[in-house]
Amino acid sequence: MNRRIFEKIAFSLFTLVMAFSLLGFGLYVDLKDDLPQLPDSLDKINLSLPTEIYSSQGNVIKVLGQRHPVTLDEISPRFTEAMIATEDSRFYSHSGVDHIGLTRAMLRNIRDMRVSQGGSTITQQLSKNLFFSFERKWVRKIKELMIALQIEATFSKDEILEAYCNQVYFGSGAYGVEDASLIYFGKRAKDLTLLQAALLAGLPNSPNNANPFNNFERAMKRTRTVLNRMISSGFISPIQMEEALETDLELAPRRIQSNPNQYFIQYVISKLEKEYGKEFVHFGGLKIFTTLDARLQKFAQQAVTTHMKSLDKRMGSNEDEEILQAAVVALENKTGAVRVLVGGRDYAQSQFNRAISNNRMAGSSFKPIVYLAAMENLGISPATVMKDEPVVLNISEDKTWEPKNFNDEYFGDLILKRALMKSLNVVSAKLVNDLTPERVIKTARQMGITSPLGENLSLALGATGVSPLEMAGAYSVISNLGVLNEPYLIDRIEDFRGNTLYEHFYFGVQRFSQKSIYPLLDMMRGVVEEGTGRVIRRMGFRHPAGGKTGTTNDYKDAWFDGFTKDLSVSVWVGYDSNNSMIDRNGRGLTGGSAAAPIWGYFMKKGLRGKNPANFPVPEGIRFVEVDSETGYIANISTKKTMKVAVKNDVVLTLPPTTDSTRGFFSFEDEPEPEQNFPTNNRPEENVLPEL
Amino acid sequence: MKKAGILGNLNGIVFIVALLVIFSLEIFGKVIERGVGHYLKWENHTRPQLGRIWERDREKIVAQKKIESILSNLSTQEQSSESIQSFKELFEKLNPSDPQMVSRKKFLQLYFEFPEQLANKMVSPYELLEIDSNRDWQRVLLTQLGEWVTISFINNQNFPIREVFLSAEGMGENPLNRDIFKGTLEEAGFGQASILTIVDFMRVMKTLDPDAQKDLFPNPYWFFSKNYYVVRVGVKEIEGSDVYPPPVRMGVEYQSDFYTEVLILPVPADISENLLSQIEIPVYDESAEDLSPFGDYQGDLN
Repeated sequence: MNRRIFEKIAFSLFTLVMAFSLLGFGLYVDLKDDLPQLPDSLDKINLSLPTEIYSSQGNVIKVLGQRHPVTLDEISPRFTEAMIATEDSRFYSHSGVDHIGLTRAMLRNIRDMRVSQGGSTITQQLSKNLFFSFERKWVRKIKELMIALQIEATFSKDEILEAYCNQVYFGSGAYGVEDASLIYFGKRAKDLTLLQAALLAGLPNSPNNANPFNNFERAMKRTRTVLNRMISSGFISPIQMEEALETDLELAPRRIQSNPNQYFIQYVISKLEKEYGKEFVHFGGLKIFTTLDARLQKFAQQAVTTHMKSLDKRMGSNEDEEILQAAVVALENKTGAVRVLVGGRDYAQSQFNRAISNNRMAGSSFKPIVYLAAMENLGISPATVMKDEPVVLNISEDKTWEPKNFNDEYFGDLILKRALMKSLNVVSAKLVNDLTPERVIKTARQMGITSPLGENLSLALGATGVSPLEMAGAYSVISNLGVLNEPYLIDRIEDFRGNTLYEHFYFGVQRFSQKSIYPLLDMMRGVVEEGTGRVIRRMGFRHPAGGKTGTTNDYKDAWFDGFTKDLSVSVWVGYDSNNSMIDRNGRGLTGGSAAAPIWGYFMKKGLRGKNPANFPVPEGIRFVEVDSETGYIANISTKKTMKVAVKNDVVLTLPPTTDSTRGFFSFEDEPEPEQNFPTNNRPEENVLPEL
Repeated sequence: MKKAGILGNLNGIVFIVALLVIFSLEIFGKVIERGVGHYLKWENHTRPQLGRIWERDREKIVAQKKIESILSNLSTQEQSSESIQSFKELFEKLNPSDPQMVSRKKFLQLYFEFPEQLANKMVSPYELLEIDSNRDWQRVLLTQLGEWVTISFINNQNFPIREVFLSAEGMGENPLNRDIFKGTLEEAGFGQASILTIVDFMRVMKTLDPDAQKDLFPNPYWFFSKNYYVVRVGVKEIEGSDVYPPPVRMGVEYQSDFYTEVLILPVPADISENLLSQIEIPVYDESAEDLSPFGDYQGDLN
């Protein structure tokens, strides 16, 4: 009887052993091709050099792939003890698998009828972090286990623990204990107190839920659990726990997630990834020197935040309603360097970069391009008289178009400069009708607009999608007296040894002659001084400047694009959904009320303390005071006068009844023509016929 | 029978004992884990490099290869521009999609070490002094856009200190078109009839006024400084030119201890007619060719 029982037990054990052996062997045969090779060193993942992105002032504004690996000597022993007590109390006694922990986890899972406890050792977790995906599959668990056994057979316990401490995720973007210490406590990992160490040790298990920035109470509860486990493991005494809980946690202020430079940085990264590949950017250990002026960028972001808050109030928006968005781009005219790029109100909330997106209509801010094309091709000048009246234009044989002015207001005869200052749609439409849209498009291309432009008369009103970056570039051509400097964001790229991999060269192209552009520049100064952009002056911005407002149909987009001698700045405001911007009083937001104040606020702050720089007047330009309705040279009886800048060869006449010997205004006190532009000896013949 | 029973039990006992030993070794020595671990370690090299750690490694390798490729291209470009021997070569390499960059040193070398007066044609040496006065002129960037060639003297910020514009169309007649041909005048396309020995050519030179002499012939110091011995001079009109009078090129053949070269340079238009009339070498028709005292043999002329 005993013998039979004994035989049965022996047979059962034999069968069990054989079954396990066969199962293990079968699994190995099945999975061996998928098992990864182990590197010579567990530090390998930390070896990549970070890529640093610099502002134009030479400050680091972003580091890609930065890790702060530390050795065990540089980690507080309290932290490693807390980690071991929490994650794997028998770490130093097992060989990759904790039988007791595993059995307990299995029993618990069977009892709960779900995978509620993992029973993974630190080595298994490291194996998972280094090689495997985070999906919960039993095959992955077995592979993870096998690699854990190999890790144990290859590396010492300290090497494994060190690698684990440098790999594990602690929430808030912190990988590794050094990063976590810096983020949560602003100190090095070696300086952690018991309480801080316990808090950090509790994070890998639930980096978001137990995150002290998100939920302090839960984090402290978890910390107590960790401290209790440290007591159970014999690392600390209950008294030490009590003492620790009485100390101040000294939690660092939460890092502001929304970096004001983030839109610029992401645009730089995406451009480089497109040009050179992701690996080059993220794993190249590069130094990328950008054109960003962090000081100006800060002011631009402030301008957006401040004004958008006031617009929110005006719109009466609730928190759950869609919020207005804005974009700002500022270019340095002399070089084309993009100094500011704000793609939205807050990068943390919305990553869509509106500064480079060309999906919004330009509205009247496109009109300067129309006027320039007209002056270049139709032989007209700022003093040319146009009739502003309701008009019907033929689009095709059976189609007509009736452009309307803002508020359906018409002014009759007036000179071109005044028409631009008042942003009259009818005049612009007539010009495009006379010019043909093709000629306007050609001029737009010469000014650096690259977005698709529809060949239709509505170009007159800017019914075409452009980006703020393009508009700033186009306006810088005006400020530069015809020289186009391609906008650029990257000055130089170096590898980690300091070898230059890329460098930008300034190359201005004279797209229009100086004397062709200057009359337009003068007209646009009129917009700021007395036209739709005069809000800039009311805000107290005193530097010589030109600009143009833009408001699209149904108040969907508000623009203000303007320039000083040094900077060209484009501002856009609107809803992402393309909804109309109607305030709670039923009034629409215009370029003058929604976008221009951002421009004014930004420029006022940005240029504070700088001497106003005048626009140089090129040779071949003269200033004449004319009647703003008739275009005749003004005399003492002229009621509405306006000073215009015209080319010397433009013939202006006196009113028919004027005695030519009297009544002229003298303009001899105008500044002498000067040419101090980047390419002061650039020949006018360098004007390109076509792009 | 009893013996068989004992033996049967003994097998079972041995098996159980073996199991117990293995079990104990596993509990206290973790033999199975260690065995598996060491086996996997032993055959580690046969397995593929999979997973996040290797992916990162591959990405780093790709990035480094890209960097090496960029550096190699830049190095090739630099070597190429440093090996340029004349402005003509530099301008020939230039096209709208391929700007050329030379160092300040190279530019000055081409400017001053190459024989010919460039002063008023591209940029005067006095302007160069001015450009260099701030000590930040680093390089020269040549770009072509449409019909214009821009020569930008750039500083260490890559910003142009001075820009000079040249018409690409006019480059054909520009003195920058000087070149050095490795070989003899005949090989460079100069006809026998328009080749003079240096002695004969100097007779012609003496009939020109000093300014014309200076405009026509390169600075002799260049030949002396390089130990070149000028032996012959040839003149030829450019065929197929639609301008009148057709542009004229002069070739100065010189010899070093090891080779013969021809310095080819344009003859200023106001001198060319005079020069051609002065040379007045009789042109033999083909039928009279064997009357030439030299026949087909030309080598001795060198």
